[in-house]
Amino acid sequence: MPATIILAVDIGGTFTDIVALDKQGARIAVEKLLTSYPDPSAAVIQGLRRLLLREEIPPESVRYVVHGTTLITNTLIERTGAKTALLATAGFRDAIEIGNEGRYDMYDLALQKPQPLAPRHLRFDVPERMLADERVYKPLDEEALRDICRRLRGLEIEAVGICFLHAYTNPTHELLALQIAREELPAAALSASHQVAPGMREYPRASTTIANAYVQPIAEQYLARLERDLQAAGIAAPLNIMLSSGGTTTVAAARSFPIRLVESGPAGGALAGVFWGGLLGQRDVLAFDMGGTTAKAALTRKGELAISNQSEVAHVHRFKRGSGLPLMVPMIELIEIGAGGGSIAKLNALGLPTVGPQSAGSSPGPAAYQLGGKQPTVTDADLLLGYLNPDYFAGGAIQLDADAARTAYADLASALDLPLERMAWGVHKLVNENMAAAARVHAAERGLEIRRYCMVATGGAGPVHACGVANGLGIERIIIPPLAGVGSAFGFLTAPIAFDFTRSYVKRLSDIDLDALNAILQELQRHGTQIVQAAGVASADIRVQLAIDMRYVGQGYEVRVPFPMETLTRAHISSLQAVFESEYRAFYGQLADGVPIEAVNWRVLIRGPQPRIKSPAPPGSGQHEPVAVRPVRFFADAPPVPTPVYRREQLAGGWMAQGPLIIEEAASTTVALPGWSAQLAAGNCLLLRRG
Amino acid sequence: MLDPITLEVIWRRLISVVDEQAAALIHSSFTTVVREAGDLSAGVFDRSGNMVAQSVTGTPGHINTMANCVRKFIVPQHPIDTLQPGDTLITNDPWEASGHLFDLTIVSPVFYQGRGVAFFASTCHAVDIGGATMGGDARSVHEEGLAIPLMKLFKAGQANQELFDIIRANVRVPDQVIGDIYAQQVGNQVGARKLIEMLDEYNLPDIEEVSASILRRTEAAVRAAIRDLPDGSCRDAIQIDGFDTPLTIACEITVAGDELRVDYAGSSPQVDRGINVVLNYTHAYTTYTLMAALASDIPNNEGAFRPIQVAAPAGSILNCRRPAPVSARHLIGHFVSQPLLTALAQIIPQRVIANGSAGLWNTMIDGVNADGEEFAYIFFSAGGMGAAHDRDGLSATAFPSGIMGVPVEAIETAAPLLMHRRELRIDSGGAGQFRGGLGQVMELEIITGAPATHSCMYDRTKRPALGLQGGRAGSPGKVSLSDGTQPHPKSHYSLQPGQRVILELPGGGGFGDPAQRDPQRVWDDVRAGYVSSEAAARDYGLAP
Repeated sequence: MPATIILAVDIGGTFTDIVALDKQGARIAVEKLLTSYPDPSAAVIQGLRRLLLREEIPPESVRYVVHGTTLITNTLIERTGAKTALLATAGFRDAIEIGNEGRYDMYDLALQKPQPLAPRHLRFDVPERMLADERVYKPLDEEALRDICRRLRGLEIEAVGICFLHAYTNPTHELLALQIAREELPAAALSASHQVAPGMREYPRASTTIANAYVQPIAEQYLARLERDLQAAGIAAPLNIMLSSGGTTTVAAARSFPIRLVESGPAGGALAGVFWGGLLGQRDVLAFDMGGTTAKAALTRKGELAISNQSEVAHVHRFKRGSGLPLMVPMIELIEIGAGGGSIAKLNALGLPTVGPQSAGSSPGPAAYQLGGKQPTVTDADLLLGYLNPDYFAGGAIQLDADAARTAYADLASALDLPLERMAWGVHKLVNENMAAAARVHAAERGLEIRRYCMVATGGAGPVHACGVANGLGIERIIIPPLAGVGSAFGFLTAPIAFDFTRSYVKRLSDIDLDALNAILQELQRHGTQIVQAAGVASADIRVQLAIDMRYVGQGYEVRVPFPMETLTRAHISSLQAVFESEYRAFYGQLADGVPIEAVNWRVLIRGPQPRIKSPAPPGSGQHEPVAVRPVRFFADAPPVPTPVYRREQLAGGWMAQGPLIIEEAASTTVALPGWSAQLAAGNCLLLRRG
Repeated sequence: MLDPITLEVIWRRLISVVDEQAAALIHSSFTTVVREAGDLSAGVFDRSGNMVAQSVTGTPGHINTMANCVRKFIVPQHPIDTLQPGDTLITNDPWEASGHLFDLTIVSPVFYQGRGVAFFASTCHAVDIGGATMGGDARSVHEEGLAIPLMKLFKAGQANQELFDIIRANVRVPDQVIGDIYAQQVGNQVGARKLIEMLDEYNLPDIEEVSASILRRTEAAVRAAIRDLPDGSCRDAIQIDGFDTPLTIACEITVAGDELRVDYAGSSPQVDRGINVVLNYTHAYTTYTLMAALASDIPNNEGAFRPIQVAAPAGSILNCRRPAPVSARHLIGHFVSQPLLTALAQIIPQRVIANGSAGLWNTMIDGVNADGEEFAYIFFSAGGMGAAHDRDGLSATAFPSGIMGVPVEAIETAAPLLMHRRELRIDSGGAGQFRGGLGQVMELEIITGAPATHSCMYDRTKRPALGLQGGRAGSPGKVSLSDGTQPHPKSHYSLQPGQRVILELPGGGGFGDPAQRDPQRVWDDVRAGYVSSEAAARDYGLAP
């Protein structure tokens, strides 16, 4: 039997989504069920069995499974990982506690910093010292290290992170320490900084290394069980794990570097944005996802995900930058703000209305759910304005109660002496402005002109608010893709098998030792290639990309410069300078002539081919008449307008209409505001256009 | 009249406009001081020069001084109707702007439908301004660099070439300084463009009504916060090391109804070293500290300043007269937060923190490296913060400054220095029911094989951060060499190869009687090594 089916599984905090796709793109099937606790693989297997049975897919026809999970993120947020110790260069075990010495909120005198995952009594001084230029200053004291390891045994340590100063320039001491620790602590999970996060800056590197060790035992257990359960279900196909960088990798690599699994769900969402944008010829895409509690946005320029090596996880304040544990692993750049359907509206200290970041979430949920929520939320406002159909929310799974929403808004409206509908309109408008502002500033920080972007809107609330947010950003095109309810899982299907390593080698271009550099790059390439080949990519299909973070000497920020991967010569270094200057000019507008240039980080990306996926969604029935007309409020003061309502599954190619109009489907509701038109475009995407 | 929803929507939009202004400025800036340390501020002002919204980046010293400079100095001399499109103004007057010549304040009017409707302004720290380099050594402001009186940087879009030439001739790194001036101009232009888009979208003639509403509501909220305080006065005075002789910073806070007055009478006179503070800078750190303690959820704009009066005797260290030297004014200015917090503790102990390290420790080392090239490296480090009524103080964290520290690996990659340890300083946090934050210890040496100059800018080496409500003082700081000698904490000396400098940064003060501390927390501290068992026995009466 030819193996033609690929499966994607996305475990989120609430739901587990499964998508099965025929490689030819002829057929797609989805399954959605509640995530199971404490063993999330139970729901995965249950859902898979159900889906395979229903669609009559024999298990042996599965070619491979792509899997993403929030398990790692949750373990870090809930602090339920292993008992973890740190081995650090003597005199520097406090780097993770001293951090950057800053405060993330200038006005908060009661500010709290994230607690290190390894408390101070589990952090140990190891006599050794490496210098910045990779010379050994003080050899590793092996006996002292063995003594420490024996103490760790007594402390019942389950995982150990090793982070020595400058180990990314010379890993000899960390390798020796790994070997000794393995001998003395055979049962412990071990992570060394030069392998997990080989970049300069001891604070984020140590933080990443400890986090990796901290989640390793749980990741091992979970992945082993999932593999076993899949086998038991008759699926012998390879299991590939989704990474936060938008690539996938083997279970073995995921077990070594579980910290790279953080935020793989949003990576899937961004990949899906790239895919649907590409299908309609759009390469500059704003992937916008709005759910119950948060809205996320990721900008993709020229079809390439923006990847950053600096991110954070497990924030003390979810939406405050700088309040999390720093991670130095490749991750898609993403902004997340506290704006979702469940976001609560209230008055602030100045007596003005604000929305979020507090959220009623899905439990108790908005007042209109009648599940105990009493506070006015965005979903309640959307219902009062007529955007949502009380009888067809989530396809009718949740009955909305407009009276409950009205009651929830009564106090707020009377406090501001406004009519109820005016208040609801204001909350809708405010949450749109919050999201537009976040996206606008995110783009400005990267020097991008956001009005040229095409928005791909997903999530339960995304298509309801898409036009409003786009109006605030000057964006003129919006794609509402099909399968929006399983967007991240669908994105996983488009991910190539890929793995990358970033190593710091900080040198002025004029001072680069080519032999040393080429040896480093070849080592990174060899290691990455092994991982990618192990995932089943044929040698002929492997592509290698190099990217270098460069800056003028003295600058604090780097520009990422793409460069062909080959053995580097002096001539290459000259052209590297030229490429840097052109990227720099594009980014900043002017060069710093005469200032020497230095390279900081070298990233080698090894990737397999991009999976080819055709338009997977089935076309509609072609029944293009509105199913209803209902009054909907679009302006602050004007009365509601009778607005046609369509059912998405009935629309087929060629359909086009002028807004205002509403298109309902189980996963969401699309609102095309006045001034916008809607049509059914390639891939059964809805395409909204302004003007 | 604007309804509350429209007002809030437009206000959110204004904040996003100034954030875009700041992003554009940072993006086109050339210097790490702006880009990495975030030493800048950006904001939008109404026709009269009232600051309506500020960017969330920036340091307190810049934001609030810029607000005063635009409203009280720039706009009275250049009312908006006397300006034309394409004009931009500049000044670095320490007394009118942010306290030393390094900070350039650049202001551009915005025109809409033929009429001036707003100003965008920013203040950035220039990497160099000529004269002596940054430090406290100058005896008058004239030695500290180029003074730029308020003048036009651009006239109707044309650059004031004479001024650019003068700047270029006076500073050591003209490309970077001029580059950042253009970056400030770019930021103002982006802000103006985005503001005009907003006016179009909301069909507004200007932001006067929005400004009036925002300022009125902010002022009312701050007045309400003040009204919640009991009427009367509270006062405190602290001593700090000063340059050679100790300095007193005294304050009296008087609450009368919904107004609050701070008077620094009793503070030391100005000195002949570059650590004097202008009133504008004193005002900035005063309003910052008060807002953090009283109204941290209220936005910072002109309305917030109106109910608060700040006075300091002319000729004092906190209101120095021309031509006093002011270059390193932050060394003293950061300390105004300290007596303010302890005075407030007499009336609202649950909303303040005990005194802490307060001044950043500023280490500069320069010399010649092994290849014969000159090098100079500077980094900032933080001691411990004070404890609060319900939590321990933060260790090794900067307050009130917003500047960040540098990793050891970055220091050693950039400069021929070797750090032997950098760890939390045991027992340095003041004992208390809640313990003060710990300082840190750094031990470093030069590895060029030749001597280098170590310039010290360290305070609280003699006078520690005091505790509150029975909490004990944190440990004072200490600078020493491996041979046992102790260099002057605010001067420079020649660091010899093979000799190590040991910097022990001050800890924060404790809060509440140590006897009230939960014994479990003491044991946890001992286990973690924040507190030694000897100190646990001595300070908390807990024998191991």
